[in-house]
Amino acid sequence: MHLAFMRLRSEVLTGKGKETMKKEEKSAWIQTILMGNKALFIVLALGIFLTIASPAFLSSRNLLNVVRQVCVSTLLSIGFTFALAGGYIDLSIGTLMGLCGMILGKLVVEARMPLVPAILIVLVIAVIGGLLNASIISVFSVPAFVVTLATQSIFKGANYLISDLVPISGLPESLLFLGQGYLFGIPVPIYIMLAIVLIAWVLMNRTKFGRYVLAVGGNAEAARAAGISIRQINYGVYIICGLCAGIASVIMTGRVGSAQVSAGVGMEMDAIAAVVIGGTSMNGGNANVFGTLFGCLLVGIVNNGMNLLSIDTNWQVIAKGVLILFAVVIDVVSARAQARRLNRQAQAGR
Amino acid sequence: MEETILRMKGIQKWFVGINALNNVDFELKRGEVRALIGENGAGKSTLMKILLGIHQPDGGEIEFLGKPAHFREPKDALNAGISMIHQEISLIPGMDVAENIWLGREDRFSKGGLIDTRSRYQETAKLLESLGIHVDPKKKVAGLSVAMMQLVELARAVSYNSQLIIMDEPTSALTAEEIELLYTIVRKLTKQGVTTVFISHKIEEIFTICTSVTVLRDGQMISTVPLDGRLSTDELIQMIVGRDVSHAFVKREVEIGDVVFEAKNFTSEGVFRDVSFQIRAGEIVGFSGLMGAGRSEIARAIFGIDRHTSGSLYMNGREIHNANPRQAIRNGIGMVTEDRLRMGAIYTMSVKHNTTIANLFRMTKLGLVRGKMENDDFAKVSKELAIKYAREKDLIKSLSGGNQQKAILARWLLTKPKLLILDEPTRGIDIGAKMEIYNLINSLAESGMAIMFISSEMPEILSLCDRTYVVRNGRLVHEADRAHTTQELLGEYAFGLHEAKK
Repeated sequence: MHLAFMRLRSEVLTGKGKETMKKEEKSAWIQTILMGNKALFIVLALGIFLTIASPAFLSSRNLLNVVRQVCVSTLLSIGFTFALAGGYIDLSIGTLMGLCGMILGKLVVEARMPLVPAILIVLVIAVIGGLLNASIISVFSVPAFVVTLATQSIFKGANYLISDLVPISGLPESLLFLGQGYLFGIPVPIYIMLAIVLIAWVLMNRTKFGRYVLAVGGNAEAARAAGISIRQINYGVYIICGLCAGIASVIMTGRVGSAQVSAGVGMEMDAIAAVVIGGTSMNGGNANVFGTLFGCLLVGIVNNGMNLLSIDTNWQVIAKGVLILFAVVIDVVSARAQARRLNRQAQAGR
Repeated sequence: MEETILRMKGIQKWFVGINALNNVDFELKRGEVRALIGENGAGKSTLMKILLGIHQPDGGEIEFLGKPAHFREPKDALNAGISMIHQEISLIPGMDVAENIWLGREDRFSKGGLIDTRSRYQETAKLLESLGIHVDPKKKVAGLSVAMMQLVELARAVSYNSQLIIMDEPTSALTAEEIELLYTIVRKLTKQGVTTVFISHKIEEIFTICTSVTVLRDGQMISTVPLDGRLSTDELIQMIVGRDVSHAFVKREVEIGDVVFEAKNFTSEGVFRDVSFQIRAGEIVGFSGLMGAGRSEIARAIFGIDRHTSGSLYMNGREIHNANPRQAIRNGIGMVTEDRLRMGAIYTMSVKHNTTIANLFRMTKLGLVRGKMENDDFAKVSKELAIKYAREKDLIKSLSGGNQQKAILARWLLTKPKLLILDEPTRGIDIGAKMEIYNLINSLAESGMAIMFISSEMPEILSLCDRTYVVRNGRLVHEADRAHTTQELLGEYAFGLHEAKK
């Protein structure tokens, strides 16, 4: 090991190192681009493969179908991206969505409430769900993982209780339109999803709040010493998670055409896979909002492709697990490679 | 007799951009008691951890008993004959003394697959007896005093037939009597040819028990000197804290203005007490003293990182309350914290974002960051401080230690504080960057800023500060203006020698 170091040092001293450094910088640059957009590249590669393997894949109907299917999971994953970026996690996001969907169904079908106020009530409830997570984490300083694992079960149970395990159908046309309708030939959920993704990108990359989330996720103690209120960020992140779950519940219910008891169960796993493969680190401190979108598309395309190639649906469950492992391993490996490179840079830069 | 048992040559160690050990050579002869001394962050523990295989070196060679020795983990070092007694007790509280000593080596008492506890107790009793440690081998460790736990750890080290025993501040928790017992044991071991390394902050102790001393500073080996009566306490202190700064930095005289900041009877129960002082505009006030004396704690409480229990703070005569750093910043205070890794830099962020983060709340419009304002501010301040970076988007951890520290300084300059607290701002950075930072501090004072300057390096305090307080055991024990501050005086008060003289 010391030999390698001595060589590096002598290279720097003789100037021969300069070329190596440049070459290294270039390869580092390529690495950064590849790693930063790995989800996009995998989506493209997979798309090409599927086009060859199954001509049905490239039809605009199938493609729109894929995107329409991932709208709900993208919305959840956007919330999840904020949680991970801030160094938190939200495992309750899926069942919170399911609970909200059920409440929405109850409101519009059983209480015959008009759609708009019903949606507003559902969003408020979703935010309260997020606030519940945040306040327990903040007040008792309990790890987010444990808290949201518990509330995941609580939200699921609440759903079972109020629904009596009976799904609600007979939803009004206006709600179905939000989940199934088309506008200018493009499904309505896609508009909603793209709008939320754009807003999320701005929030994460162009606002003080987003910067603070990244700072807290990167180094909470240092962020506090720089004048950031960690509590506020904690609350902010979970409010966003709640809101995303609330919006997703509206689309989900509209798309399925009924409020399902088991809606959203297990969807946090899809979110983890999509967000991490999209380039947001599990360790907090960075976020890639568009990466999350591509990550969701990737999960969607894998499922769609397996359907087209008529592979057993049970394999799809396994494929999702493999995808998560793949994403996490890539995350760790690329972080380690980056750390090594930076260390070398700092040594040579002195 | 003069056999060299350990040879460490050209040891290098880097921690993200910080040169923790720079080309350190370290040798030990059989039977010596070596003191390893230096300020915190000087590299003492890092050097020993490399020897034990807890850290891997980035360069250099290690030879133990004539064989290359690159251990992958402490177990390997232990089997080769090196033990370390850490400051934190590493015994298992629920087990008794004998179980702890032979942990992991139960095989030697094995009888048909079961542990022969009787012979284990006998063996333990014999071992403790030979060392003069009076404790029942059957006693649970949880019921022992800290001192006795430490002695049990020592006994464990001896039971491994260790040729080299490293002790990290072994006497910090011991009473005078227990210290004597420890010394007796060490002398006994020395006679048997065991080599001991004492990592210590206690000057007095070094002169009592050690036969030679190695001084480390800023990851550099300063010198190794035999303790044969020729080295004086003052000389040793100077070796620890000082470098020749005569050529390096000349303080420019600054006109001192009105009182900017005042602390009155500022107290945090059990940490520091009745701290009262003022800092005027343009004044650089030093806070000297040992690590753990309470300097950083006072600063952290002023800045709202930690809580305080009583006392009050005033800014320009108006009382202020800093429940958290956020309020402190809004009250016109900035602070460069001591531990850059943990409390300062956000390593997942770019240089630019690290620099602007504390002032970001003044750079927004409807929550949106005003990009041009941020860019301009960063460009200006990074030029002013000559921060070297390739691209502003580069992560701050790709910078050298000195440039990282300049970026953190820049972060606080952007907030335009009236009082700037600097806690060990030059630790772990190279001499060139240090000089730049001294000059910068000087210019800040010239611009009318009040500066609270905490440092363990006395030359730094001597050359930079208009006035200096010495902190000891959580109190301000001494105040002197520039003309009346000398290294000897600061050292005396810091080490508590003035109390002994009384």
